[in-house]
Amino acid sequence: MKLDKRRTDKGIPLLLSIILVFCILGTVVFSVSHKITKEMSASAIQNLSESLDLMKGTIEAILIKEAEFQSMFAQEVALMENPEDFILSYNGNKTMVKISLIMAGEKEGISNTGEIFSEDGLDFSKGKTVAGLPFSQSYLNYMGTWAYSMKCPVIRDDKEIATLYAEYIYDSFDQALPDGFYNGKAMLYIMDSKSKRLVLKPKGIGERDAGHLNLEDFYRANNIMEEDLREEVSSCVEKGKPVLFYHDIRKKNALNYMWPVNEGTIYLIGYVPVEAIQQEGRTVNQNILIVVMVMLVAFILCCTLYSFNQKQQDKVRKEREKEREIHNKRLAEALQAAQIASNSKTMFLSNMSHDIRTPMNAVLGFTALLARDAENPVKVREYTKKITASGQHLLSLINDILDVSKIESGKVVLTVNEFTLNDLVSSVDAIIRPMAEAREQNFNVEVTGIKHEYLMGDETRINQILINLLSNAVKYTPEGGSIWFRIIGLKQRSSQYERIRIEVEDNGYGMTPEYLETIFDAFTRAENSTTNKVQGTGLGMAITKNIVELMGGTINVSSEVDKGTLFKVGLEFRIPEGEANRQFWEQSGISRILAAACDKEACNNIRTLMSAMGVSVDTATNAEEVLHMVQDNSTGISYDMVLLDCNIQDADCIFVAGKIRETVPDSVPLIFLSDYGREDMKETLNMANTGILAKPFFVSSFKEKIIKMQAEANEEIMQDTEEDNNLEGLHFLAAEDNEINAEILSEILSIEGASCEIAENGQLALERFTNSEEGEFDAILMDVQMPVMNGYDATKAIRALKRKDAVKIPIIAMTANAFAEDERDALEAGMNIHLAKPVDVELLKKVIRQCIQGRE
Amino acid sequence: MYKSKKINLFLAVCFLSAVVFVTSSCGNEKTGRNLITSEEVERRPVNLFGPMEKSNPDASNKARSAFDLTIGMAEKKLGINVEYRTYTAENYEEKTYDDVSLNRVRNNMDDLYLLNPDTIQILGEEGELLDLSVLENSKNLREVVKIANTVDGKLVAIPQEVVAHGLFVNKDLFDKYNLKLPETPEDLLECCKVFKENGYETPIGANRWWLENFVFAQAYADLYNGGNTEAEIEALNTGKSKYSDYMRQGFEYLKKLSDLGYIDAETAYTYEAIEGEGPDFLAQKTPIVMAYWGAANTETAYGKPDFELQVIGFPSKLGQMPVVSMTGYGISAEAEHMEDAINTLDILLSDEALEVYSRTNKVISPSNNVEVECIPALKPLSDKIKEGVYVLGSNAGMRVEQWGNTCLIVRDLLKGATVSECMAKFDKLQEESLKK
Repeated sequence: MKLDKRRTDKGIPLLLSIILVFCILGTVVFSVSHKITKEMSASAIQNLSESLDLMKGTIEAILIKEAEFQSMFAQEVALMENPEDFILSYNGNKTMVKISLIMAGEKEGISNTGEIFSEDGLDFSKGKTVAGLPFSQSYLNYMGTWAYSMKCPVIRDDKEIATLYAEYIYDSFDQALPDGFYNGKAMLYIMDSKSKRLVLKPKGIGERDAGHLNLEDFYRANNIMEEDLREEVSSCVEKGKPVLFYHDIRKKNALNYMWPVNEGTIYLIGYVPVEAIQQEGRTVNQNILIVVMVMLVAFILCCTLYSFNQKQQDKVRKEREKEREIHNKRLAEALQAAQIASNSKTMFLSNMSHDIRTPMNAVLGFTALLARDAENPVKVREYTKKITASGQHLLSLINDILDVSKIESGKVVLTVNEFTLNDLVSSVDAIIRPMAEAREQNFNVEVTGIKHEYLMGDETRINQILINLLSNAVKYTPEGGSIWFRIIGLKQRSSQYERIRIEVEDNGYGMTPEYLETIFDAFTRAENSTTNKVQGTGLGMAITKNIVELMGGTINVSSEVDKGTLFKVGLEFRIPEGEANRQFWEQSGISRILAAACDKEACNNIRTLMSAMGVSVDTATNAEEVLHMVQDNSTGISYDMVLLDCNIQDADCIFVAGKIRETVPDSVPLIFLSDYGREDMKETLNMANTGILAKPFFVSSFKEKIIKMQAEANEEIMQDTEEDNNLEGLHFLAAEDNEINAEILSEILSIEGASCEIAENGQLALERFTNSEEGEFDAILMDVQMPVMNGYDATKAIRALKRKDAVKIPIIAMTANAFAEDERDALEAGMNIHLAKPVDVELLKKVIRQCIQGRE
Repeated sequence: MYKSKKINLFLAVCFLSAVVFVTSSCGNEKTGRNLITSEEVERRPVNLFGPMEKSNPDASNKARSAFDLTIGMAEKKLGINVEYRTYTAENYEEKTYDDVSLNRVRNNMDDLYLLNPDTIQILGEEGELLDLSVLENSKNLREVVKIANTVDGKLVAIPQEVVAHGLFVNKDLFDKYNLKLPETPEDLLECCKVFKENGYETPIGANRWWLENFVFAQAYADLYNGGNTEAEIEALNTGKSKYSDYMRQGFEYLKKLSDLGYIDAETAYTYEAIEGEGPDFLAQKTPIVMAYWGAANTETAYGKPDFELQVIGFPSKLGQMPVVSMTGYGISAEAEHMEDAINTLDILLSDEALEVYSRTNKVISPSNNVEVECIPALKPLSDKIKEGVYVLGSNAGMRVEQWGNTCLIVRDLLKGATVSECMAKFDKLQEESLKK
């Protein structure tokens, strides 16, 4: 602010200085220009005066010559015996157009034209003479043109015997005068000073505007109406003096002149536009103007450049200041972030310390108890169960930490595959429902508006999101509370993508607004007197948010303390291509079904999903309507299948089913839509060709159910696909550098009736296998991180061996490297399967059996 | 970076411009020792003598502008200089334009003349004017033009426009007093009476030139519109009928107008055309004047009135009657620049030039090939002429010159001569013509 003021303070004097410089410059230029104009004007006046003097001299010379000629002519006449005959013999010429003679004492004489002549028509009263000869006033002669006469005495023997009159026309001056001077821009008249008639005029067509009759007409034509000026001019003309004055003619400044000839007998009058006289003056002024303009432009250019330069410097300075500010701000933010991170990590470490120590304490405590009560099988089982629980908690803690670390380092890669929402909901339901039931909570699953059930996405990660949200809901909802899990189909933005919104709502403890702000930050956990009993790493929500964002989705949360929480996750999945599903329905002969559900929304959901499969769906929302539709033969519609919601309104589902069966033949399958957990319903039914389908309705589960029922209808005994996972009699080679792990593995395998040979690193495992007989080992269990030779290299070496079983023998990776890329590396190295530590015994058994069977 | 490049480019352009400017300013043109580098081509002169009204400052004379345009065309095409000479009488006591033009033609002062009908007839009869049938463009002329300008079988003058004279009336004032535009002489008397009663001292503004139109309208309405024109003119030329018989009613009518004070004979005798009566008409002090067609288009005359102007024919027993007269160009039979004068006039009378002239002035063209629309004020007069209803103010076919003589005899009437005295002059003129 102060800086601005200082600048303004500096700016005003600068501005004033510039104005002053301009004023001085303007004054100098004006003075110079004015001076030049003045000098040019004086020069113009002198110039014009000289020109007019020249013309005056010319006319006067002509008049004198005329007078002299007339005098000589008079002398000639005097010599004649009969002067009148001499006059009559004269033919006249273009200058002296007529001569006349009046003998002394006579009033009339004779003209050369033969006419009688008298002096009556001539006016010599003004007394003007030329070379001593009286000069008449101008008059229109017999030729219709302006003329003047001079008279000369004819003297013989010193006695005046007659007077010779000669008539001259003004037109004769025309040849002697310039044909337009000042480049034809000047106007020239000859005026008779007594009558003020214009007796010789400009002759060009365009010159008539200047007045042509007399002085008054000249004034009127040129708008010279100032009385004082006209009086002054008249006075000068009366005295035979020259007049020169400025007056606008046709809106242009002009020098007007009245120039006496022969002492004012006649006048040269006219005007010259000043610009015609001062052509060079105008050029000089123009050049001055150009120079001034150039200087001005140069000055403005300099100012502009200076200003531009200043602005550039200001800009650079401001940019630097801004950069510095940003830099400082970033430093401050970084410092703050580092402090926050440090605090968080400190907090996290503190939490971890607590969270790890707690299960570890349990493990160690129960291990101690186990040692003490080893003889008591009941306690041993109880202790081992608790040790297992504590160990699993520790494992999940480690998994979460690893997940966060991986996500934050950007190493997470989504594995996009086709999946069905049915499988997703089933798997989530299978996990969450028992948890909710354990806490006597109501777990409600709702799926609405889904148009495509088969989608492309990373099912595992979506599962992770749902489990995180739902397990939190279970954890943070008191016993007896309710949890709602909704999947809602939204309006598609593109026909190739399905938009869904996942809502997880509970009426649990809720969260404070302060906590809501940090809920998605890592290492945070809601704590209060109620929730601090809940175990957790505080990483779940951070992981969830990161995964959602990785999938291009959004996650929002709203919560109120003691009222509950609502998470909304918006995701978009590509719809897989393919017509396999539609073909299934055509091949099964199912083109129309009847769906009887308790609410319209569910009915619409079924219709939407099935219409995508090319199956028409009629819906009914109560028992009466259902029965009416199946019993009405008038429409000619028959259904290929009936779906009946067990919660149908107004009636018992089984009763309605019975009624339907009375009308609908046994060949038409009747499927009950039931909530999860009501699988036992089937046992209460003895009807043929019926089945139970768990809600919510999904096409894939519906399809599976139909396949299953079709198989039963064909009385084909389904093969029990459950494999005998017994490892009895198998012999393994295990590469494991950790003695404890090796011992655990040996022990587990021996419990299952299998034997195991341990190699401490990859190299030893390779050697052992190389030296073994073919078929000696049923499989190799390979750790990855080992000294001397790691698992990958060892596997590659084994696969490279030139023996038959080198390629076939199953090699199972058993490693703490549990990421997807670890699995990929393992498979690329030639291993058959990847198992993450800690080893799940059941899973191990299943995998080994599969591999061995596959080999067989 | 980009900006600084732009600035550098700008500075470079400025510098280059400065260098070019300085170089061009300081450069010297190569000249020889003789500083006069070009010789002016002298243009041949053609001297034209024509009338001109007194000048008005900053006023544009449309008629003159149209004339100038056609003169310009001739100058350009022929490479000549038309030098205009004029004469205007300072007052009524001075020689008239006609007097001067007669003298100038007789003394062979100019090449080309713009002449009034009476001088055309006089000079034609004297043989001072060239037969203009030699002009290429004379074949385009309307028949009426040829008849009016043929003297002793020679086409001695050709106009640039057919001049029709009419009554110029202030329609607003006629409407104000619920007066219909006059058709007959009686109608006009009635209108004048009403105007006089309403304070208009002199209802008809007149000058010393154009009062004769009243006479022509009444004298020759039947002659030119009765279908027996040639026979009647022949009777006049052979003395079987008398001009005075035709003229009498017109003169009596003028006398009546004068006696009733509808015309101020005293001022009319001294007034020049338009210059005298015009200001009162424009100031709406006089409701009626008479003038020629072009005056309605010309700002220096009646081209820009503050009221609704209507131009109608002079009253006659056949209704409104335009009086058509001809002012025309003649060439001196002894013209100094004969060939250039003939070529100049041929261009002035070409369809191209007449089209320019007629469009600019909105007048009736003498050429059969040129037709233009007139201004609304002139429509009544134009309609009559298109219908073929008009009288000729001048007719070289009549052995007694009409336009000039009638004008002079009307002046006598204005000066106090009786109608009978005026008629006696016509009889005398007719007798003289029969002696020729």
